Amino acid sequence: MRKKDIRRPVIKIILYIFISICAVASLYPLVWMAFNSLKTNEEIFSSNIYGFPLHPNYENYIHAVTQFNILSFFRNSLIVSAICVFCTIFLAMMFSYATARMHWRFSEAVRLYAIMGMFIPVQIIIIPLVMIIKNMHLNNNLLSIILPYIAFNLSFISMIFYANFRSIPFEMEESAAIDGANVYTTFFKIILPMVKPAVATAAILVFLNTWNELFIAMVLITKNNLKTLPLGLLYFQGEFSTDWGASSAALTIASLPPIILYLLFSKQFENALTVGSAVKG
Amino acid sequence: MHRYLGKKSSILVFTLPFLILYTCILVYPIGQTFVRSFSDWDGITEPVFTGLQNYRDLLQDSDFPIAVRNGIIFALVLFVYQQGMGTILALIFNTRSLKIRGSRFFRTSFFIPVMLSSTVVGQLWVQILSYNHGLINSILGSLSESLRIPFLSDPNLAIYSVAFANAWQGMGITFVFLLTAIRSIPEQYYEAAMIDGATSLQAHRKITLPLLQETYKVTFVMSLTGGLRAFDTMFVMTGGGPGNATTTLSYMMYNAAFKRGQFGYGCASAVVLLAECLVLTVFINKVMGKERIIY
Repeated sequence: MRKKDIRRPVIKIILYIFISICAVASLYPLVWMAFNSLKTNEEIFSSNIYGFPLHPNYENYIHAVTQFNILSFFRNSLIVSAICVFCTIFLAMMFSYATARMHWRFSEAVRLYAIMGMFIPVQIIIIPLVMIIKNMHLNNNLLSIILPYIAFNLSFISMIFYANFRSIPFEMEESAAIDGANVYTTFFKIILPMVKPAVATAAILVFLNTWNELFIAMVLITKNNLKTLPLGLLYFQGEFSTDWGASSAALTIASLPPIILYLLFSKQFENALTVGSAVKG
Repeated sequence: MHRYLGKKSSILVFTLPFLILYTCILVYPIGQTFVRSFSDWDGITEPVFTGLQNYRDLLQDSDFPIAVRNGIIFALVLFVYQQGMGTILALIFNTRSLKIRGSRFFRTSFFIPVMLSSTVVGQLWVQILSYNHGLINSILGSLSESLRIPFLSDPNLAIYSVAFANAWQGMGITFVFLLTAIRSIPEQYYEAAMIDGATSLQAHRKITLPLLQETYKVTFVMSLTGGLRAFDTMFVMTGGGPGNATTTLSYMMYNAAFKRGQFGYGCASAVVLLAECLVLTVFINKVMGKERIIY
């Protein structure tokens, strides 16, 4: 017992040091990026490599906004994400309501068919997808990425709603039916308000997935004024790769929305992951 | 009762939009990829059936062994770093006797990189690992110029650097998965273990880890298939280079179809990639057993 009393604080200190190093490893690269966005390239490359910007200036942000179309990329990302969040949630909700609470023969089979999508890597569909988009004449149209984004998110989001709809007592519909409501009124007026927390969770997940998606956008969008942020930022990869100040500013602008969202809704994020792990396992 | 819950027309209204989009955009293309992988196809003219020719070419492609090897390296780096760190951190934050202060801050900081796009992470790490001005090489260089490491330009090292950047970003997911799974283990188990005189470490080894089996199945599959499928970070950080040192199957698929116009060949690479992922997923589920522990 006595030996343990002495050992415990030492172990505790070691563990604190360990998790602090881990936290620094996770955060410092991002802090460094934010610092760089406020420094001149002279500071970044030689005089002040690691620390806080000594003479913070917003030149880099002005540069990023005026010269690199950042605002147009930002707007495209916002449009795409907003439409995807709304449509995915709407479609997934309708679908999972039918599989979770309505009575029909193939309900279970159709539900399993819809879950499959979670395990489909984008690589296996991308080539035919490009052809489909071409045949629909959606080339260089934001819809060309919106449709696949929605399709890719449907499986997971509908699973979240399925779990939620199953947990609502079945008397809800019975009493609604007695009051003479039809299925649409019941769905929109009674059932939907009961799954609001799940809507928040789903919205965050879809937003993140679409805001950060690169591969599909890269293959389907070539016009500069239609590029989303992850795609537009590739611009800094090549010829402007020496201007770290401006590229840091652009990267910071792109990272802020998801980080702010996470800080505001970290609880819903963790809920989302719990639901995910419970169903996938 | 429930007359309207069985009405055919409303079931169609609720499910059809979903099913049409899902089938057209996700399911139909999978079939197409399989079919087209057996043909010579440039994406413009009609595909010509060539049997297994694409697969034969793929096996003889000088990039293929490099791509497979890189996929395995990538998967292993992700696996070791994410599962290792994720497990250690999740256990630390769930050890009752430790009562870590500020656990919310730490949790948040581990998870923030997960929020970022691969373009941001890739470019950020290109700067961090840069030979002349990078964060790490500046520190090494200030000790001695000879210590500088060519993280991204050394063909043998580049794949590890890229894989690490990816592992760094995704660690938070594994961590939160394990953390929430451990939280759902009933407190009494640990109380009973304490009464029997077990240390925290023993309790974790005998109680926590066995009960996490189901969660580990998910996180293992995520890390390993994530590594095999890797594309984004690679594309942003090295573009498959130097030379072809960081090429992967995804990259071969991308180049074949969208750079050289060999769509049939690209489809074959995608099918091989899917097969790799499926085999691995089945393997993990077999090895880790089917029995669920119920508590």
